[in-house]
Amino acid sequence: MRPYHLIPAVPALGLVLMPFLPFVNTDGLWFGLPRMLVWGAVWCVMCTPALLLTERLMNREEAEK
Amino acid sequence: MTTILVMTFTGIALIGVLGFVGRRRPAADLSEWAVGGRRFGALSMWFLQAGEVFTTFTFLGMAGLAFSGGVAALYALPYVPIGYMVLFFLAKRLWSLGKERGYLTQGDYLEDRYDSKLLGTVAAVLGVVFVLPYLQLQITGLGLIVQLVTGDSASGTLSMIIGCALVVAFVLWAGLHGVAMTSYFKDIVMLVVLAVLLIAIPAHFSGGVTAMFHRIDALHPEMLTIHAGPSDQVWFTTSMLVSMVGVGLMCLPHAWPAVMSARDPKVLRRNYTWMPLYELCLLMPIIVGFAAVLVLKPGTPANGILLTLSKQVLPTWATGLVVVAAIATAMVPAAGILIGISSLVARNIARVRDERKQFWINHGTVVAACGLSLLLAIYRPDLLANLLLLTYSGTVQLAPAIALGFLARRPVGKVAVLAGLFVGELVVVWLTFWQKGLAGNVNAGLVGLAANIAVLALATAAERLTTRPSAQDTSEPMEVRA
Repeated sequence: MRPYHLIPAVPALGLVLMPFLPFVNTDGLWFGLPRMLVWGAVWCVMCTPALLLTERLMNREEAEK
Repeated sequence: MTTILVMTFTGIALIGVLGFVGRRRPAADLSEWAVGGRRFGALSMWFLQAGEVFTTFTFLGMAGLAFSGGVAALYALPYVPIGYMVLFFLAKRLWSLGKERGYLTQGDYLEDRYDSKLLGTVAAVLGVVFVLPYLQLQITGLGLIVQLVTGDSASGTLSMIIGCALVVAFVLWAGLHGVAMTSYFKDIVMLVVLAVLLIAIPAHFSGGVTAMFHRIDALHPEMLTIHAGPSDQVWFTTSMLVSMVGVGLMCLPHAWPAVMSARDPKVLRRNYTWMPLYELCLLMPIIVGFAAVLVLKPGTPANGILLTLSKQVLPTWATGLVVVAAIATAMVPAAGILIGISSLVARNIARVRDERKQFWINHGTVVAACGLSLLLAIYRPDLLANLLLLTYSGTVQLAPAIALGFLARRPVGKVAVLAGLFVGELVVVWLTFWQKGLAGNVNAGLVGLAANIAVLALATAAERLTTRPSAQDTSEPMEVRA
């Protein structure tokens, strides 16, 4: 297990915790959209940069080896 | 009505033709047919994997779920990206094993990793039993779409028959290449249609998306939260977790041919990196479903709301295009499922040594599986409905065996894996059909998985106590036939 393995855990945690966060799982809107929808979409988008960063770190480690 | 009907059957025929175009000459062997000779690049892989995610359930079911349960429908948003993040790390190992040892199916993998033909066969039988209802769901969905739009059940039945005949024909001819070619068409037409509906439906009924949500916030605030009831936080989280494990560990057998077809592991990793962005498209039918909350009466059949609203808002020709997109989301996944089922039967159940015979058994299974699903869809649409409840919770019981199989040294034996699998399936069936309320809103698959892992651990401990250590681990078993 390397530290970069944990980077994708951040958006994953954001998505899994979605229904338990009181400021997310409530009525009211953000940007005219349901809060859960905005929260879910943002963390979904964050998955890609998290994986890109992980891949870069993995490649760097492989190159160093 | 005639315009829609003409567009419907033209769409079905076009998908069939595209499937045929996927390959110029018929495949020479099962490997070429089922995994395209392992030569698929990033674009084909992208559409093949997206093809598995966006089905009739996504297109019609998500809108229905948002209409009946509000934001509870969002349980379907996180599990694919999280599952893909798991697969991002497993991709290299999975692809290398598949290439080196010649896997075509999930059964091949389990058989090889545990050196057990019995485990391979059991996994294949479970895969066929649990996925066949999913195939029938696609066919029933196709008929339902046409029936809903035309109001004529005969047209619905005819569309199912023609659709199935064309799917069988192009799958037999082109194999995975045919699925890839139709997937391009399916995803493009589906995205165009969803984008149009996303703008047109909220604009027509509420003056736009944000205006629509402001009205929902004022009139139905409960639709914007996960609250007590059948779709509470427990249901949301456990359903999400089971689906996440299912995607992340490739528990559905029809996911395997697409992954095995990749040219190299970099292609897989690139797809798993970018696919979460594509998953945002799931929000489009969900938002359309919210529009129905303000327009349709509660209790309206949920699966038809996207088509009902389309008919109210769009001109006839555009509704025809929506129907074509919906039909594509039924026919293309059905083709992928058929490849998954038939290769399991040919490789892991029938077990003939002659490659030519294996190929013909595979093709016979394509015809038989689709024919059976079609007959059941027409005459007994409810017969397999209960089994559909087991598609995810049943197949996810293979997760411990698949996960531990990635390790170079096998920490558990085949007997322990089979014991855990047996108990897990038993618990799932018992909770699904006999003791429905016992687990509350906890997904039965998760309870089964807990029992499965507990039995696996106990059986492994017992095995280690009774067996000499040297007999435990054989790191790299015999190669399976490619």
